[in-house]
Amino acid sequence: MDHVASLLLGLGSGGVFAALALALVITYRASGVVNFATGALALYVAYTYAGLRRGELLVPVPGLPKTVDLGRELAFAPAVALSLVIAAVLGALLYLLVFRPLRAAPPLARAVASLGVLVVIQGVLAIRQGTNTVSVRPIFPVDRWELGEVIVLSDRFYLALTVVVLAVVLSAGFRYTRFGLLTRATAESQTGAFVSGVSPDRIALVNWMISAMVAGIAGILIAPVNPLTPVTYTLFVVPALAAAVVGRFQSIVTIVAAGIAIGMLQAEALSLASDVSWMPQTGAAELVPLIVILVALVLVGGGMPVRGGLTRQRLGYAPRPRSLLLPMIAGSVVGLLALALTAGTWRAAVISTFIAAVIGLSLVVVTGYAGQVSLAQLALAGTAAFTLSMLTEDWGVPFPFAPLLAALVSTAIGVVVGLPALRTRGLTLGVVTLALAYAIEAVWFRNSDIVPSSGARVTPPSMFGIDLGIGSGQEFPRIEFGLVCLVTLVAVALGVAALRRSTLGSAMLAVRANERSAAAAGVNVVRVKVLSFALASFIAGLGGGLLAYRRGVVTFDSFTAIGGLALLSTAYLAGITSVWGGISAGIIASTGIMFIALDRWVDLGEWFQVITGVLLIVTLIVNPEGIAAAGHQLADRWARWRSSRSAGGAGVERRAVAAVAPTAAAPAAVAPVDGAAALRIDHLTVRYGGVVAVNDVTLRIDGGTIVGLIGPNGAGKTSVIDAVSGFAEARGSVELGGRRIDTLAPHARVRAGLARTFQSLELYGDLSVEENVSVAASGRRHTDRRAAVARALDNVGISGLRDRPAGALSQGERQLVSIARACVADPAVLLLDEPAAGLDSDESAWLGERIRTIRSAGAAMLLVDHDVNLVLNVCEHVYVLDFGEVIAEGPPDAIRADRAVAEAYLGTMHESEVATA
Amino acid sequence: MNERRATAAGADATEATSVRLECAGLSGGHGATVVFRDLDLDVHAGTVLALLGPNGAGKSTLLLTLAGLLPARAGRATVDGVTLRSGNAVAASRAGVVLVPDDRSLFATLTVEENLEVARSRGGPAPRDLLDIFPALDKRWGLAAGALSGGEQQMLAMARALIQRPRVLLVDEMSMGLAPLVVETLFDTVRTIARDHGAAVVLVEQHVRLALDVADEAAVLDRGSIVLRGTADELRSDSRTLERAYLGELEVAR
Repeated sequence: MDHVASLLLGLGSGGVFAALALALVITYRASGVVNFATGALALYVAYTYAGLRRGELLVPVPGLPKTVDLGRELAFAPAVALSLVIAAVLGALLYLLVFRPLRAAPPLARAVASLGVLVVIQGVLAIRQGTNTVSVRPIFPVDRWELGEVIVLSDRFYLALTVVVLAVVLSAGFRYTRFGLLTRATAESQTGAFVSGVSPDRIALVNWMISAMVAGIAGILIAPVNPLTPVTYTLFVVPALAAAVVGRFQSIVTIVAAGIAIGMLQAEALSLASDVSWMPQTGAAELVPLIVILVALVLVGGGMPVRGGLTRQRLGYAPRPRSLLLPMIAGSVVGLLALALTAGTWRAAVISTFIAAVIGLSLVVVTGYAGQVSLAQLALAGTAAFTLSMLTEDWGVPFPFAPLLAALVSTAIGVVVGLPALRTRGLTLGVVTLALAYAIEAVWFRNSDIVPSSGARVTPPSMFGIDLGIGSGQEFPRIEFGLVCLVTLVAVALGVAALRRSTLGSAMLAVRANERSAAAAGVNVVRVKVLSFALASFIAGLGGGLLAYRRGVVTFDSFTAIGGLALLSTAYLAGITSVWGGISAGIIASTGIMFIALDRWVDLGEWFQVITGVLLIVTLIVNPEGIAAAGHQLADRWARWRSSRSAGGAGVERRAVAAVAPTAAAPAAVAPVDGAAALRIDHLTVRYGGVVAVNDVTLRIDGGTIVGLIGPNGAGKTSVIDAVSGFAEARGSVELGGRRIDTLAPHARVRAGLARTFQSLELYGDLSVEENVSVAASGRRHTDRRAAVARALDNVGISGLRDRPAGALSQGERQLVSIARACVADPAVLLLDEPAAGLDSDESAWLGERIRTIRSAGAAMLLVDHDVNLVLNVCEHVYVLDFGEVIAEGPPDAIRADRAVAEAYLGTMHESEVATA
Repeated sequence: MNERRATAAGADATEATSVRLECAGLSGGHGATVVFRDLDLDVHAGTVLALLGPNGAGKSTLLLTLAGLLPARAGRATVDGVTLRSGNAVAASRAGVVLVPDDRSLFATLTVEENLEVARSRGGPAPRDLLDIFPALDKRWGLAAGALSGGEQQMLAMARALIQRPRVLLVDEMSMGLAPLVVETLFDTVRTIARDHGAAVVLVEQHVRLALDVADEAAVLDRGSIVLRGTADELRSDSRTLERAYLGELEVAR
């Protein structure tokens, strides 16, 4: 019975989480923004409401009086109405000023902008209202209802009921009104909305106003129950996000149920913690959102649905470092000078910059390179910091070993943190990692059973009798400790730069760009994701250890979940995709040198936080991919200018073109070895929903032959390739050299000797040609790999393009890179999907010659192309597909003469026209 | 066949004398790549222009640019003499330019009726009015668009365009993946729309013969430029040139 009572006690906060989750979902569906500032919006409206009830109107603008006296206290109804009007205006302003300009920016940029909004709102309120709690008169009657032995607080019950009613009203609105219809339509397909004559912009604007009002209602409802303070309200967004993830940002019913359930479970967890000895004494409530998300991920899987947008999103260009030595020396010298020429606070700021840069670099690895959004990096740094305290104080582990061991502990935890990445990606993963950080903070860092209230002490580092600690009093900060930090930073920076040049780094970028094509290139996506989390956590752990030494006493406030949000924002803004971006993140971090300088030279006083928030938003609108992107573009232009001068324009080597005339008769087929086909496809059928794309197709490719597959658009050619390479579910069997492969995962089929190209190429624009090709050679020894890559480039004739980024190539050149990438694994069978798309007829004839060269190197091929001429000239045997079925097969001459083939392409000619044509 | 020609010619003589859609020096593309350049094209009200050409010729990009979903690089497009604002889909829609995209861009979880309701305009036809043109949608009325067959989805996409009473109708790859019978029905509808509603229709199509049957005029786009332009009859009688543009040197048996 006690359990029921405590569960019911959670109705209040559960209702608020549910309402905030609703607000989150409305803005996400309407504009693709995961609005981390939803809790902050609720807070602002709650303060406004509280003020109105006292007869004052809150004025957020600096310079004006903090409040306007309304002369009399407002009653409940007018106060709510006016608060909600203000909420709507705020929502509209946020959309028009911040999120509409960012509508084509990457989703991560929009999420970061919402963090900026959070900082601004929280900062404004802290200044205008102070951090003292404000209490508000109850809205609902506060009674104790006794139902048997269970006691229910009536106000909690009414609160939850109000939210449920609100959800029902919203559901009905979205279900039955024209505006709701347009909202649902826009969320489904923006292109669809445009071609239906609907402006998604206007729909988004109104939804932002509604969302702000819903958040406002949540704030007003909870104000009497939970006294107003800036920080608690802002963090309501974590359980609300958990509820939204459970409902996959879609189902209103699930989301409201999940929100209320989280609130109730939290109350229950709190009561259990006080009754049950093995439960953690603190943090039990904060664990609930995490557990709910994880259970939901395991049960339902998936992330939030991707909204149908017009532009393809990217995370920003990740340049390949051109050299390591020179930047390393230059960076070290600058760092040394910065340490030597400063003292006191300034030197401390330099040291903090180094440490923040190390933690920033960990984000470069996991988010910038591997594309996994992690909001837990600061928490991971914290795990190392607290572990370091235990290692040094309790067990006396000496200096270089203690921080390394602590970083290894972070690595282990980081791998666990990264496990959800195997089920989900993008911002959903961000939400999961945020919930993790929130839980780690509460269960460990704030836990008074583990961490003394004064903080966890760390023994200062020393080696060979030399004191490497930061010192105290007059000595603080000692240069020795600065050197330790600088050496660590330089080592980490070198490592991260070398990672970018390594095969693993290429594989990470491949996963980031497109998991599907990475798998097609033989990359083990799971392994790469786990490794990226492991490496990044190790780096974050090193940073956390340094921070612990820097402080001497470790407390939770260096490693909060909110701090993790700020860290990601800073790193994103600085340029999360490159080593220099990671280091810049250290410079502009809130503990870094730039902010100390700003604080010293420009007296922003209490407005400091607000102004940094505004700067963050403005910088994002101007540079949606971060400030480093502009620098990369400049550097790239410079490099291209230099290479064009030295190489005299390296292009596709056309030396073969003149020599090769399209030969009318294809070379005789190489006899298959003891009758086993290189590739055998039997009774292959592919269905998409109700549509049969491929119907009972049987075809065979003998060793060393080139087989063509032609047919009009939509005939099912690509579906055949997708099914054979493991990207589409199919019935029927696929045998490679006599071995069944139709149960293998795509990357395992590549390893077995089956490679493919993609019609859409799926190249990694950030990577150089050589790296694009070398992604497919991962898992080989270094020298082997280089040789294999060089051979593949040479076979296809693009050695001259080796160092160009794939994004800068012409369509024809890109086709060749794609083929080279497929060739590098020395496949037994190569599936080419539209390799001549976008090539002119010269290039196409030349490509035909190249394809024969690759064949003579041993690969059998299936060639799918629209260029019928190319296929008929190159192939020994051709299959013709129409409406998913083979309508003709035979040698090219027979296909040329086949009436049915021409009809499939040009349409059925009427009798009269056949006669006259 | 001849009868159909005659009707089209009659329409030309009476109501369709004005140039509805005109492109002058229009260039466009995706991102950094220019896909078509310096294009001049005009389509009269009440006529159908078939835009033919091999894959990657720039046909779809041209339609997206006209519909305001991609910005133009240079040049302009006008509807009844009024210049369209480049890259503004809402303005294009107001000017009466309606696109049926090749992926159809239907709202898959919305019902057939809701899909039409979204595009409905005040004073315009009601969703059920479209059943006169596509009676096959009646028995699917309450079903989610994603559950329809390919042919039905294409009908719905066409119906969603028609409910907006287009002045310029752009249809991209209508026949893709559809059975021949369905395709013929849809093409008949296109013909009717041009004739009865006086819309200028631009039809991007792989299915050359069917497209020429339904079109008044045709243009062949290859690598971003118009390489052949004439009446549908002219192009049909010059099938050699057409085939060469399309299929390379494929020897079609005769």
